[in-house]
Amino acid sequence: MKRWTTILGRGGTTLIAISLALLLVSVVPSIQTHTSGGSGPLGPEGMRILLNAQNFNPQQELEVAVTVEGTVTVYLLEIDLELNFSPTAGFGYNFNSTDLQELLEEHPDRVIWEHEVENGDYKRSYIPTRVMNATVVAYNQPDSENAYLESDVALQSGLAPKDKVRNIAYWVAPIGVILALPWLVNLWKQRKHK
Amino acid sequence: MTNMGKGKPFLEVLASTIHEDYRFPFLELFAFFYILGTFVLSSFTGTVSSQFTTNEGVAYSLASSLISGSLIVFMLLIFKNIAYGLGNELEKGIIQTYFSYPLKRRAILTAKLLSAIGVAMLLFFGIQISALYILAPDIVLPQLDTVILTYAASLSYPLLISAIMLLLTLKLRRGGIGLVVGIVLYFAMSIVALIAFFVAVASKSPLFLQILSVISPTYALQYHYGGGLSGVSSLLSVPWAPTLSEALLYIGASYVLVASLFALGYIYFSRRLNL
Repeated sequence: MKRWTTILGRGGTTLIAISLALLLVSVVPSIQTHTSGGSGPLGPEGMRILLNAQNFNPQQELEVAVTVEGTVTVYLLEIDLELNFSPTAGFGYNFNSTDLQELLEEHPDRVIWEHEVENGDYKRSYIPTRVMNATVVAYNQPDSENAYLESDVALQSGLAPKDKVRNIAYWVAPIGVILALPWLVNLWKQRKHK
Repeated sequence: MTNMGKGKPFLEVLASTIHEDYRFPFLELFAFFYILGTFVLSSFTGTVSSQFTTNEGVAYSLASSLISGSLIVFMLLIFKNIAYGLGNELEKGIIQTYFSYPLKRRAILTAKLLSAIGVAMLLFFGIQISALYILAPDIVLPQLDTVILTYAASLSYPLLISAIMLLLTLKLRRGGIGLVVGIVLYFAMSIVALIAFFVAVASKSPLFLQILSVISPTYALQYHYGGGLSGVSSLLSVPWAPTLSEALLYIGASYVLVASLFALGYIYFSRRLNL
């Protein structure tokens, strides 16, 4: 009986130590590695690439914030774009609204999420569970009117997904305390007896 | 004595050695540092680059990035348990109390190693698997074989150091020198690997890397998946890309080496160690 109390108690204190370490990991602030923002009108069938991230990995977090006057759909797509240069237009991606339509019809599996924003603010963050190429696109549907888009996209690098790690720590700590309590009480009684 | 009768003394010795090796709060401290080592010292952004183009390569780079941090904590725990713990027991003659149990010497050493290395590995794997699942479940589950192979390759060299430390501790009956040799061997490997890499590039022969891979097969796996400095510049390309079966052969050879050294330790502890 005493041995089992010790085994469970030490298991409990180990779980408490693990949850403390996870809490510490979750409070380490992330570093902003990329940020891009802008504003401007977006006509019907107009499209704007807000971000193209290569090797987007589980230690990174994407934060998208848009403010829209009109109706704009924001997509997070799993595609890799090439940057091209033309003397007239400068640098630009080889991806236009026709390519987007084609992708949406033929490869819907490449759409990680989409959200239609109508006259308002929209914020969303995303942490991948694998390594991928991510592209954030804002698109004004052909049947919509002119829209005005203000966007702010940031890519942050951290140690681990904070919410996930913190949730695990919150679950593990009480289990650890329950397991450790009888052993700690025994230990305290023994010391008092001595 | 029946097998049933031998089981209880073995468990008694195992419980006693675990109690000695992981006195409160050592287990808790090492669990804490395992977590910190796993998350703080791993960097996916640095390791996941264009060098690794296949899914297996990405899984390898992520797993090896996670391992590197907590492997240092794992080694510290092994250093403490073998060189300091066992070394102290041999030096002060405490080990003789275990000989009063109706057990063969090899069973006593098994109990000591299960506590020193087995429990440390249990903690290591428990935390690593959880961390991999927290961070990248969509990489781990489809590429489970690559992840297991990466762990097998990465743990071979630390186990080799443990076996060498065990032999030195048993021979000298104290842990000081074993501890120093263990630390030197652990940190020297990365320097030797860099020298072997430049020798391989200069001589256009992968011989040194192949020899090194028998000791630490993680290099064979790294070159199999296309990592190393060869991705930095074409001038630094190594004429060596082992196939998966070759990499498996290096992993197998390294574990044969580890098993042989542990077997030597068992023979020495059972027959030659006069206490």
